[in-house]
Amino acid sequence: MATIGNNNINAKLVLLGDMGAGKSSLVLRFVKGQFLEFQESTIGAAFFSQTLALNDATVKFEIWDTAGQERYHSLAPMYYRGAAAAIIVYDITSTESFERAKKWVQELQKQGNPNMVTALAGNKADLEDKRKVTMDEARAYADENGLFFMETSAKTAVNVNDIFYEIARRLPRAQPAQHPAGMVLSNTPAEQSRTTSCCS
Amino acid sequence: MDMAENFLAHQDYPSIEPNAFDIIVYGTGLPESLLAAAAAAAAGKTVLHLDHNPFYGSHFASLPLPSFSSFLQSVFRSPPKSFSDLSASTSPYDVFELESRRVYSEVEFATSQPPEPSRSFILDLCGPRVVYCADMAVDLMLRSGASHHVEFKSVDGSLIYWDGRLCSVPDSRQAIFRDKSLALAEKSQMMKFLKMVQGHIASGSAAGAGAGAGAGAPEERFVRMSPQDLETPFAEFLQKQHLPPKIRTIILYAIALADYDQDCEGSCGNLMKTKEGLERISLYISSLGRLPNAVGAFIYPIYGHGELPQAFCRCAAVKGALYVLRMPVSAVLLDKVSNQYKGVRLASGQEIFSQHLVMESSFTVQSSVSSLLDNQDFHYSKHSRMVARGVCITNSSIHTDSSNILLIFPPRSLLPEQSVTVRALQLCSNVSTCPSGMFVVYLSTQCHDATVGKECIRAAMEALFRLPDSSSSEEIFSSDNENAGVSKPNLLWSVVYIQELAQASIGSIHSSPMPDGNVDYQNLLETTTKLFSKMYPEAEFLPPNKASENADEDGSQSD
Repeated sequence: MATIGNNNINAKLVLLGDMGAGKSSLVLRFVKGQFLEFQESTIGAAFFSQTLALNDATVKFEIWDTAGQERYHSLAPMYYRGAAAAIIVYDITSTESFERAKKWVQELQKQGNPNMVTALAGNKADLEDKRKVTMDEARAYADENGLFFMETSAKTAVNVNDIFYEIARRLPRAQPAQHPAGMVLSNTPAEQSRTTSCCS
Repeated sequence: MDMAENFLAHQDYPSIEPNAFDIIVYGTGLPESLLAAAAAAAAGKTVLHLDHNPFYGSHFASLPLPSFSSFLQSVFRSPPKSFSDLSASTSPYDVFELESRRVYSEVEFATSQPPEPSRSFILDLCGPRVVYCADMAVDLMLRSGASHHVEFKSVDGSLIYWDGRLCSVPDSRQAIFRDKSLALAEKSQMMKFLKMVQGHIASGSAAGAGAGAGAGAPEERFVRMSPQDLETPFAEFLQKQHLPPKIRTIILYAIALADYDQDCEGSCGNLMKTKEGLERISLYISSLGRLPNAVGAFIYPIYGHGELPQAFCRCAAVKGALYVLRMPVSAVLLDKVSNQYKGVRLASGQEIFSQHLVMESSFTVQSSVSSLLDNQDFHYSKHSRMVARGVCITNSSIHTDSSNILLIFPPRSLLPEQSVTVRALQLCSNVSTCPSGMFVVYLSTQCHDATVGKECIRAAMEALFRLPDSSSSEEIFSSDNENAGVSKPNLLWSVVYIQELAQASIGSIHSSPMPDGNVDYQNLLETTTKLFSKMYPEAEFLPPNKASENADEDGSQSD
């Protein structure tokens, strides 16, 4: 969920899409500026965070990767919970991955919050000669389903930052908390952390 | 028709790659999820984690009310028989079909319809349950990084049923001062006792390595007491402290959380020893103030206890564990010669091999090889085979000042035949498991007889609520002067059921524990830790994660 304070917005962003569509590559390109030709299926991090400065606000994304749990369609409800934004990724060289992306959109509509900002990313845009999914087809689908659409390339970095900036711009600037804020476990005993605690 | 169905089902099951792992874990309850996380993260093993259900958590799950109801009633059909293996005669393995014990029985629903939308009630299968702020569960979540995925709410306090009414449990200096139901003399006796226990704890932790309560060497912590004293029944020890009966009851059942009647010689059994009693009080006291923003000793996970297995599964997945829900295991494969466990056959017919297999203990293999499963059992209690549980929905709070409350009905407080404590937990909408203005109350008691167990649960429900079909329950409770003018909540919907207590075991195939009759996770986690160290003696169980789970670029911790 997006929380706001002094124009600082914290937003959980989840990635969805089939294995091999390039979810992790997009994140790594965005967060670290890296691209690996043979990215392993799991990237060994529960989440990444990256802060974007916009004119009117600073948006700190907490980006959750699927950790491979999507492979056999076994994502936990916890994954979708509280997400303010989602990027559904498909591979423009695979019609199958586009069809699967539509399934993920349905899943998200079932599980996610209705105010979620959702992006459809046609990844691997650098592989134009192997293209199977046309831009028009994807854009039409995105328009019908209230998603915004971009073609990206984690390899050449085309549109990667742009898609995250666009999400940041579309995030509601003032959104009431979706659930009552809870306490996050910490290692600090109460006595020492009392001065820094902020949630109730 | 069966064939056709099977065939369709078969088509739906994915083929799993690779077909060999270090460990296969079947069931996604809390113990299994922890084991998967520990094996993947700490021990660096390849893990395949399966569940035949379409959701995470097995018998530790939190489910929307309609799914909760159907899960309790589901008559478990043994996993679909795998396709007759044409090469069976030449197979190097003996194939043993997996069977499932019935976990829930005597499920009785209220005749009333649940409030709508019933899907907005998320109910715990293993309730009532809480987490001590200072217990092993909190430690494990912090160490594994699972703590990042779950948020908690404070349990505001505890109430004890004493003399036909509910009184608050004064568990700290502040609470004792605030309490209006205790006489001044009682207050000072209670204070004196807590000070004495704290003295013992302090003298122990000074001598010890400063380990957290509940861990470390408990015998060192009570150096000021003779070993003989520590072995005496705790109830006797309290008697010697000249504590008034009410204070003694509070300490025994609401703070040390004793299960069985501690004044009942012999047949009732399970008398708590002084050592254990002091350890439990020590855990309780160190839980108070362990976490900022926690009001009392206990916390409850937002969205319910089903979040905990999900969080550990995510930790395991991040470390490379492979997850497949909706995938029944149909049989276990043993080497024909050595009789050793080799692998499993899935409902899809696919055979997958591993060094270890852990299954939730509701699964068992055919009796001829049952010895595989029970080489070494963990016994919860000689006296209980089952837990009676109840879930109630109301639209007002039992207590005016608190919303999330633990309620204790000590033995014999409800019925003469009540030999075990009945515990209840009221939760409000701030844990996001029910709509605002509604309350969910969980109840449980261990029992050896389903009828007695359910009677005790019903008696507690009658003491707490105005039942739709009863007129006799008004006056039991209305004299509660702490809560004067507050009428009992109306019971809108309820279910009462029995859960079998299947035991964990270590053998060629390991069996992980089912939810027990306690309100906390201590016993379950101890058993799980033992199972892990049996499988991987040289590996540490979820050691602290130094390079923290998150690759937080700007290094700041949000929230």
